[in-house]
Amino acid sequence: MKCRECQLEMNHHADKPVDPASAEEARGVDPALGAIVEAVHCCPECGSTESERIAPGLATHG
Amino acid sequence: MGSDRPVLIPVILGTTRKGRMSAPAARLITDEINKRAGLRGELIDIAELGLRTDDVGAAVQNPELSDTLKRADALVIVAPEYNHGYPGPLKQVLDSYLKEYIHKPVGLAGVSAGSFGGTRVIQNLLPVMREVGLVTIFWDVNFSKVQDVFDDDGKLLDEAYVKRIDKFLNELVWMARTLRYGRENIPLD
Ligand SMILES: Cc1cc2nc3c(=O)[nH]c(=O)nc-3n(C[C@H](O)[C@H](O)[C@H](O)COP(=O)(O)O)c2cc1C
Ligand SMILES: [Zn+2]
Repeated sequence: MKCRECQLEMNHHADKPVDPASAEEARGVDPALGAIVEAVHCCPECGSTESERIAPGLATHG
Repeated sequence: MGSDRPVLIPVILGTTRKGRMSAPAARLITDEINKRAGLRGELIDIAELGLRTDDVGAAVQNPELSDTLKRADALVIVAPEYNHGYPGPLKQVLDSYLKEYIHKPVGLAGVSAGSFGGTRVIQNLLPVMREVGLVTIFWDVNFSKVQDVFDDDGKLLDEAYVKRIDKFLNELVWMARTLRYGRENIPLD
């Protein structure tokens, strides 16, 4: 993932389990984890944060 | 290098109550942060966020607050104790963001009219901090009998708080620098 400000590659520093927040997300839950994963990235230049929610069957979004 | 940036520490004033005594407490901590070279404190008054009650979670984010929290290196939450718990509007602010909080340290300041300095609100906040990805530190600031700590103009009457805040900030800033290095440089896998 690239920083929107600096266009630099961000560091992927966290995968946090999160509960589904909608019926669509509930269908996307990873059965092995019982959760959706929020993957969090940080820009080494400006320190800003972005994330994407990752689960099988779920279109990823920030 | 990114690590030369000042350490940004938003201080969240965690109540919307009119006449709140948590306000001088939050101002004092913000001022102490801003006295230090290399740190930048920013007071976030949750009464000014236009909090909405018609939805919950990311749908009711405040975009400016999201930007500030994304750039933050640490947080201070100043929480008054209401019925041994935290104010509802503060919980709403906590519930509305996630990536903004993950792998950042948080220092908690409890404010109470009673003798226990908000220790019960701090205890009740701990599981919430963990779930939103904030990392708690082992120093708190406890404003006990807060009506005796500040005068009517918000002036500090008990200088011992300056020393306590100093210790609290030492630990918070160490964690802020360490976790910033980790967020920016250490990959998860
Ligand atoms: C709804 C409500 C509940 C309260 N519950 C407690 C409490 O459980 N323990 C306590 O020491 N003070 C309690 N207080 C007093 C607050 O701690 C006191 O107002 C203090 O100044 C901090 O809150 P403030 O920032 O709103 O002034 C309560 C105040 C309110 C408005
Ligand atoms: Zn950047």
